[in-house]
Amino acid sequence: MTQVADLIRSGTPAACPGRFVLDEQGWRDMAAALSHSALPLLGLWSDGGQVHALFMEGTRPLMASVAVTDGRYLALSPARAGASASERIMQDLWGIEAMGATASAPWLDQGRWPVTWPLRDRPPPAPAPPEGVEFIDDATIVQAGGTVLGHGPAEGDFNAPFHLRLGVPGERIMQVHSRMGYAHRGLCARMRGATVAQAARLVARIDATATVAHQQAFADALAVMEGNGAGGMHDAALFVGELGRIMAHLDTLAVAAELLADRRFVILAATLLERVRQACRDMCGSRLLFDVLPPAGGNERVMSLPAELLAELRAGCTALRRLFWRPRGMAMQARGRGILRADVAGHWGIAGCVGRAGGVESDPGPYGSRPPAVWPDGSRAMAGDVTARLALRLHEVETAVEILSTLDAVALTAPPVGEYGSGEGIGCAEGPAGPVWHWLRVENGRVAAWWCGDPALLLFQALPQVLSGAMYEDVPLILASLGLSAASADL
Amino acid sequence: MAYLNLFWPEGTVLPRMLPLDIFHMETGGCTGCALELRSLSRALVEGHSDIRFVSTPRQAGLLLVTGSLTVEMAPVVELAWQAMPGTRLLAAVGDCAVDGGVFTPSYAVLGGVEGRARASLLLPGCPPSPAEILDALIRWRMQGEDELSA
Repeated sequence: MTQVADLIRSGTPAACPGRFVLDEQGWRDMAAALSHSALPLLGLWSDGGQVHALFMEGTRPLMASVAVTDGRYLALSPARAGASASERIMQDLWGIEAMGATASAPWLDQGRWPVTWPLRDRPPPAPAPPEGVEFIDDATIVQAGGTVLGHGPAEGDFNAPFHLRLGVPGERIMQVHSRMGYAHRGLCARMRGATVAQAARLVARIDATATVAHQQAFADALAVMEGNGAGGMHDAALFVGELGRIMAHLDTLAVAAELLADRRFVILAATLLERVRQACRDMCGSRLLFDVLPPAGGNERVMSLPAELLAELRAGCTALRRLFWRPRGMAMQARGRGILRADVAGHWGIAGCVGRAGGVESDPGPYGSRPPAVWPDGSRAMAGDVTARLALRLHEVETAVEILSTLDAVALTAPPVGEYGSGEGIGCAEGPAGPVWHWLRVENGRVAAWWCGDPALLLFQALPQVLSGAMYEDVPLILASLGLSAASADL
Repeated sequence: MAYLNLFWPEGTVLPRMLPLDIFHMETGGCTGCALELRSLSRALVEGHSDIRFVSTPRQAGLLLVTGSLTVEMAPVVELAWQAMPGTRLLAAVGDCAVDGGVFTPSYAVLGGVEGRARASLLLPGCPPSPAEILDALIRWRMQGEDELSA
């Protein structure tokens, strides 16, 4: 780990703290050293001129950059599997090729965009869209003469669209192909040239289930850019962050309970969820907490939860836990389904709630924004199955309620919205599904380049391993327990 | 036995209660509207309402679209529309579904259904609450019944 970090630090320091620009040989050495190191890769992206890789050294972000020469750079996916989708996305958006990549098929661009490589300054027009979608099935599926079933993009289940092609030769799934890009809105292109306030409004609308985490990470990146440092969450951000976490987890739990036909659990979870959303509307003017943090939501306000609601949430959590663990309850029904083991999570670099349920020890964030999550029942339940994930979500709701009850009325003070000059910054926040990263470069008050790293992209890459061996009927439950959101994976 | 009067051939003509089956499609947005629709769907199930969300367009009478209608999702919406039987109607809920919202203009987004298709119900909001959505659905339904009886 040290060796790779030292190699990165031997580069030229850039404007953003923790970012170093390597030459081509330096990048090559880093890529070679990565295969012998455990330094976790958290993100890979490009701004057109350079490719950036984000690592985590202890609790500090460390970034390596290399200039793109002749539209190419050396791929990192042979050493870090999780980089594969990012490399394919860069190819789709910029036309930048990753040399030696493990896969090169399009990830987002399925041939229907009006332009090719849309983020280039002068993108060439696209050829005519394909008439159909072509999948290549594994030989084992073809030989077995097995059924191929689809899931998505429109299932009537209120989720962001994506497609899974599942090969089911017998009773269990053997092959999983995913097709992404349905939810791609071109956010990178929309962000370029936008003012910081406009960009913050877009950031809040990346994914409604993690809107506070995205706002927080963006605000942290701005603070780093301004030289104020991401000094941890202040009380107001912690307050809305925990509210957002409660809402996301309760919704996930209610969906899982619907799929497991536990009506009592659904009613209780949905009632608590509605109470919290109404309280959010009364406090912040937005039921889903859009535009609550500066710079998009700069209104000064005092926020507090009524004592009755806190008591109701505490009692509700106890009742939910009892329902969840009761004999023949959800925990028993979902046990052993959709297992995401620690080694698979580590292979793809999955952290956050889903990784922790599989036994991965992940840090909640580089800035210590949130008290570290403590697993309630020891290692017994860290099986990485649906039960473990749902139990951890339920536990996080209880933890969040306790955190909220320790905070009295918190005042959201809007910092003076000045003119943003030029600079670069990176920020992170722990969302309901895992750590969310935002990096941005601002030039003359307008966003020149931006990147968002969301755990959903890693989860989609790990889906073949999670779903292999599962029953077809369990797919919606497994997807719900993972908290997958194509909206934040596709951007 | 007061209910027996409902079987008499004379008397007021009672309106026929037709269920409203809705197929929802998220066409590329932040899924905020979809989250609110999910809440509404739970409430409707719990209330044994005759407004239902169904899991296939082949059972639906109303196609309810949320999201900014991405280029990739446009053919999927068209397929779902073609799969709907009989008289079918279109509704757009949320700013994005109406005019694209904050995501337009973009190479990957068509920008909502307004101006592309004739929608029976357009409900702006970012996002509209479940109560607002239900209110709009009921008003639109009653308006339709009034027009039929007129």
